[in-house]
This record gives sequence, C-alpha cells and structure tokens, in this order.
Amino acid sequence: MKPALSVVLFTVLSGAGLGVLALTGCVALFGLPWLFPERLPHATALGLALTVAGLLSSTLHLANPRNAWRAFARFRTSWLSREGVFSLLLVASAAMFAALLYAGADASLRAGFAVLTIALAWTVLVCTAMIYAGLKPIRQWRTPWTPVAYFVLGHLSGALILLGIARVDASNSVRLAHLCLVLVVLAVAVKALYWRAIRAPRDALTLEQAIGVPQGVRPAGTSGTPTAMQARLFDAGHTGRTFLTDEFGFRLARRHRGVLLAAFWLLGIVAPLVWVAGAWWQTPVVVAACAAHLGGLLAERALFFADARHTVRLYHGDART
Amino acid sequence: MKLGLVIDLDTCVGCHACATACKEWNGASAISGPLTDDDPYGADPAGVWFNRVRHYEVGTYPASKTVNVPMSCMHCEDAACVTVCPTGASYKRKDGIVLVDQDKCMGCNLCAWACPYGARELDPSSGTMKKCTLCVDRIHDTSLPEPERQPACVLACPAHARFFGDFDDPASQVSRLSAERGGFGMLPQLGYKPVNRYLPPREPPVVARDADERGPASADAGSALARLVDAARRFAAR
Repeated sequence: MKPALSVVLFTVLSGAGLGVLALTGCVALFGLPWLFPERLPHATALGLALTVAGLLSSTLHLANPRNAWRAFARFRTSWLSREGVFSLLLVASAAMFAALLYAGADASLRAGFAVLTIALAWTVLVCTAMIYAGLKPIRQWRTPWTPVAYFVLGHLSGALILLGIARVDASNSVRLAHLCLVLVVLAVAVKALYWRAIRAPRDALTLEQAIGVPQGVRPAGTSGTPTAMQARLFDAGHTGRTFLTDEFGFRLARRHRGVLLAAFWLLGIVAPLVWVAGAWWQTPVVVAACAAHLGGLLAERALFFADARHTVRLYHGDART
Repeated sequence: MKLGLVIDLDTCVGCHACATACKEWNGASAISGPLTDDDPYGADPAGVWFNRVRHYEVGTYPASKTVNVPMSCMHCEDAACVTVCPTGASYKRKDGIVLVDQDKCMGCNLCAWACPYGARELDPSSGTMKKCTLCVDRIHDTSLPEPERQPACVLACPAHARFFGDFDDPASQVSRLSAERGGFGMLPQLGYKPVNRYLPPREPPVVARDADERGPASADAGSALARLVDAARRFAAR
C-alpha cells in the first residue's frame, strides 16, 4: 500500500496525543506524583492538540472533504465511522477535563471526566487500528498484533512526552521513567511478534487462487485430479498507470526499507532509551528525544503501509500476497 | 433478486470489447459518470474503468493456456465495501447491485482497500469512488426493447462469453450455466460471497513439439510445390 503522508502523520500524532491523554487521566485519577498537579492542564492541552492535529491531517487524505461531515453515519458497521464519532466525544471530554483542571473544580467531577477521557482515548486508539486490522484483503494488517502495536506505541510516545513535561520542573518522575522503559520493552516485543506473524506465509494467497485456477488446467487426454500448475501474468491489459497500480502497486526499494527500519530502531527505540536511562533532563535534550522518537514512529508507520500487500497485486502478477 | 454476471473463461478471447463498451456507456451515464481520464493525451495517461481485462498464462508449455480474465464488481452478498463505508455512500440494493451515491462519498478510499478484486477506482476529478453499476440504468429501463435490457459489456461481447441474470432464480440462464459448467466465485477464502460466476477454462490440447514428437516426415507430406501439383491434378480430374 502507498504510505500516504497524511495518514502516517495522523496515526502517529493522534496515537501520541491519545497516549498522553490516557496517561494524564490516570495521573489525575489516582493522584500519582509523576507530575506536579499544576502541570496536568498543560499535559491535557498538549495531548488534545496532538490528537486534533492528527485528526486534521487525516482529513487531508480525503479526495472530497466537503462530505467529511457524513462520516458519522455508519457507526454500526464502519470502524472509520466509529473512530469519527468517538474522536468527537474524546475531544469534547478532554477539553472539558482540561478546563476543569484549570478551574480546579471539585474532585469527583474531575475524576468523572478523567475516567471518560481515558476510556475514550483507548476506544479511539482501538478504532484507528481496527480500520486497518479489519481489512480482509491485506493479510499484513489483518492480525491481532495490529491493534496491540497501535495501543502500545501510542502509550509509549504518550509516556515519553509526559516524562518530558514532568522533567521541565523536575518533579518526582522515577516511576514514569520506569513506565517508559517498560513500554519500550513492550514495543520492541510487540513489533517483533508482528513482523514474525506477517512473515509466516500461512494465510498468503497465490495468483493461482486469485484467478480461480488453484489446480491449473488439466492437459487433454489425462484424467483424475489436475496437477498443480503455475500461472503467471501475461499482460495486465493496460500500458499506463491506473488507480489500482498507484494505490496498491507501491513497492519499497530494499535500501529504502533498510533506512526506514534503521530509523525506527535508532530514533524510535534507542534514542528515547538512551535519554531515559542516561537521565539527561536538559530541555533541548528532552525536546530532541521526543521529536526523534516521533520521527522513528513515522518510519515505523510508513513501513506498516509499505509492507502491506493487497490481493489486487495478485491480479497484477505478484505470485503471492 | 441476486443480479450478476457469468463470465466464460473458456470462450473469452481477451479483446477488451466489454471494457470499452462499459467505458462508453457509463462515461455518459448519470449514475456515476463521467468516467474521467487523467492526462489523456499526455505522456502518462490514466483513467477510470469499471471493467479491466487481464491475461494470464496457466500451466507450462506445451500444456499451457492463455486465460483472459475480465474483472468488474462481483456485487458480493457480503460486501465489505458497503460495511466499511463511513458515510453511507456505498450501499447494496434489494436486487443485489452495489452502488456508490456520488453525492455522499467523501473519497476516503477505504472501500477500495476493502475490495479484494480491485473493482473500485477513485475519480480524481470528482474526488469520489466509482464502480460497476451493472448498468442499472439499462437493465431496468422498460423503454428499451427487452433484449437490450442487459449490461453494455454483455451486449458488446463478440465471443458471447458474458451472461447477465438473476442467480436467485434456479431456472435462469446464469444459474443453469454456472451449475452445468462448475462456475466459481473468485477468492471465496475471504468470505465476501461474490455473486458473479466464472466458468473455468477447458483443458488445453496437447501440442506436439517439432523436435521430439512429430516423427519422420511421411512420403505424402512432400513440398509445397508437390502439394500444389497434386491439388491441380485433382482439380483437372473433376
């Protein structure tokens, strides 16, 4: 699949924003000493800003955005519609939560909106992932590891940003740093398991299956079951590009894949690990580490798209998905 | 009603007449036309088609066969393109036809991603998704003579490899053909229950290879000149 920048940005930015909102909600709800209480509204506002920036970026993907308001119509069947509805509720809930934190409203009301914001942030994260994990023609996406990876990576980037905010005024954030390290380990494990799962050719479909000649055709004069035969594309029927080749025919050069993979490991995993483990809390380092991590996740998300092989590719000559 | 097509992979000659007839009819259709072209006279032309024909070689020479595979919307019974659509632009009619309401589509591409057959194509000029309508504006048009109430692709096929009808009626031509010839739906593994049926290609003949199978030339095979003389002699004897 073609990695569209708008969608890559959307999933990474709103993933981080939702992670920040869910974790800030937990801090407020359980009165954790990770952040000074006066920083909570700032953290919520930043999480909200990242989420909204991501959502706005996703609308750049639409070819006919003036009908975007209709996207709330099919809540019952469409994960994209559910994501839209829950995003709207989340934005309202998080804005209310931030306002209550600023105003210092009574604890029970704050707790109520904290719970609501946490629940909605998790729901939106899962909805976003299920847009991809629900697509049967793309086996690289249709795995339980897709939503798990979105959930863990969203919380990892959220926790790192929250740690950055906490360290600005040197609050007691040892536990938050520990949470970051745990999430880094989880992220590595989940992505490793995801890549292992999509490498297994277990669910792969073949060109022969796609055109309905899994057994090939039987030569004349022979009887019994046809022997397995290979099919190959002779002519795609068009000389130029088509919507299908543009959208599904994307091929990532091996060296570009290596660059993206290296960017994910070095920027997305190693950089924040060194930052947290080395306890360099100067503001420029904090900002650089968070930015590097988000850059690493952009590379990871671009790979998520580039590695996805849609069944349409079989009809254009790929031997298997 | 379960309207759909039967496509005979044995008789399809891969001429693309169905695809061009489709482009011609639907390009002027009010249902989801026009089927615009992008850069039609430039170096890198592209355009919207509802029906594309691809050609495959199946088997290995000499026991191989060219199989031409025309593909358009399968009008699936369990159409994921409809359920993933967030706006409700994609819908399935009572007669089985899957359509896109051009006034509601926001061009998010998700239905095209959900379709395993590549039946949907985004029109960049309108920003909306377009697809085969099964010529819904022909098949139900009572002002047309009855034999013409068929999709443009079916009417255009010179090899008579395409048939249109109701699969819910066991006596219809499409139901009978599919039952007699072992019609199959594409990629049943995915569970979309495609309605269109393909009739499998028949067995290819065994072709003798010059080097090892024809054997020594027989006496009466002779040269072209000898055959010409022989033909002239037989003509004279009549």
